Amino acid sequence: MRWRRAGINALMLVVLLPVYLFLHGISWEQRAEVRRSSPPGYTMPAPFSRVLAMGYQGLLSDYEFLRAITFYGDRSVKQERMSAADWDFFTYSLEVVTDLDPYFLDPYVLGEGLLTWDAQRFEEANALLTKGMAYRDWDWQLPYYVGFNHFYFLKDYASGSEYLMQAAEMPGSPAFLKTLAARLAYYGGKSQTALLFLQQMLAQSNSDTLKQRMQKRLLVLERAVQIEKALQRYRNEHDTDPVALQMLVEEGYLQKLPPDPYGGEWGILRNGRVYSTSKFVDPKPAQSK
Amino acid sequence: MLKRVGALALVTCKEGIRDRSLFGILLFALFVLGLNVAVAGFFMRDLGKVTVDMNLAALSFAGLLLVFFIGINLMAKDIDKKTIHLVLSKPFSRGEYIYGKYLGLVLLVVCTLALLLVFSTATVAGVHAMYPAYFGGFTWGVYFWAVAFIALQLALLCAIVVFFSAITTSSFITLIFSVASYLVGVSIEEVLFYLKSQAAAGEVVASETLRTVLEVVAWLVPNFAAFDLKTEAAHGLVLEPARLFTSAAYGAGYILILLWLATLIFRRREFN
Repeated sequence: MRWRRAGINALMLVVLLPVYLFLHGISWEQRAEVRRSSPPGYTMPAPFSRVLAMGYQGLLSDYEFLRAITFYGDRSVKQERMSAADWDFFTYSLEVVTDLDPYFLDPYVLGEGLLTWDAQRFEEANALLTKGMAYRDWDWQLPYYVGFNHFYFLKDYASGSEYLMQAAEMPGSPAFLKTLAARLAYYGGKSQTALLFLQQMLAQSNSDTLKQRMQKRLLVLERAVQIEKALQRYRNEHDTDPVALQMLVEEGYLQKLPPDPYGGEWGILRNGRVYSTSKFVDPKPAQSK
Repeated sequence: MLKRVGALALVTCKEGIRDRSLFGILLFALFVLGLNVAVAGFFMRDLGKVTVDMNLAALSFAGLLLVFFIGINLMAKDIDKKTIHLVLSKPFSRGEYIYGKYLGLVLLVVCTLALLLVFSTATVAGVHAMYPAYFGGFTWGVYFWAVAFIALQLALLCAIVVFFSAITTSSFITLIFSVASYLVGVSIEEVLFYLKSQAAAGEVVASETLRTVLEVVAWLVPNFAAFDLKTEAAHGLVLEPARLFTSAAYGAGYILILLWLATLIFRRREFN
């Protein structure tokens, strides 16, 4: 009797365990498939999530922020381009996160890092940062970001310096800010502006993914600055722009055109700024299904 | 009288400590604190805020579980199991019984919170030491104020539990009523201010009657948001003494009224 029961138990173990393991594997694979093809998802509007947080608005804001950043990270790891709907979800998530806890610094930093460079949504980025400025009124970083956006992306130098001055007057702001405003006013929309700014952002960041992205962008900007400087020397001596950037190499202003790490071709804009056909973002991977 | 109330409070507290679920609650809170250390690195800058959020949430949620699952049991067991006759045959009044039980619950909550606060302080200090550059405006002072107000909020919740225990016959009904009061109390402020801001913007979201009903409800339930200093603690914002004083007085006033009503009803109650 005792042996029979032990036998039955052993049989159950031998049969049920593999069945469970098999089903477990299938189920997880299926979920991965479902998630791969899933649309961005839904973030509950702030008036509702603030109520439903039941007093844990801060914790919910942390959670929603993690959701937004992993969503972006997921797309980025799979080398999938963020679609307009994806960016809508991302932007809205950051908005809700900052409604839940308007003092939370991370969503503003992430918004500045991604909404401008990658999404080209400058107005949305500035709106988010301006909202943060009303709450974090001691924090020099937010007006600093808005100032940079005005300088580099929107080419609105007057407002740009105003924001930078505002940032420079705040407690704890780095000493270089005061001179930076003046230097940026001189460089305006040139690559040097972005270089100075990115160096600052990189020095403050502790997220490895973002750091890697920024380092790549820093590299391309350093190269752009290098070309721009050569261009400036050419212009000073010839009083005119070269027809093509290759002429800088031919006439000895540059040893060679440094390659764009994003894989684009260099060119000159009419305002004298060097640009690349890659626009300093990773190229769209070949459409795969 | 004080001696008798104190003795009953001590007995109630000890009985609560003997409850096995207490270990579950403590383990849960410790788990969240551990999770905090693991999760903090996922964030970019405001690690201090995330740490404080998680720590305060762990403390306050553990407190809620304590009041709802152990507190209600302690209060209602006497009535459910009819041991109340035994207790009331002892030489103390029904009023003393209510106050004794209430103080016992509060003592249990305060002891548990104090224990958890030791762990939580260690966690915050640990994460602080791991990432000293990302603790922006954090100050211990505001953090401890926030914990003190969590204790006040839980003390108020204990009063609600005692009040409903005094007027209902079953612990389940007490649980439902207390949880409902908590949920309404914790969200009523947000709802009312949202409706006000919508009305100011000229949009009608809720009918006039519904708004009036909600205003009345706001008079009846305590506004738990008044004791919520989690955001302030997370970012080390300046706390105005006037605000602390008003909130504390509001909480204490509400507790006293509830206990007075509870004794009033409990004195007239028939047990069978």
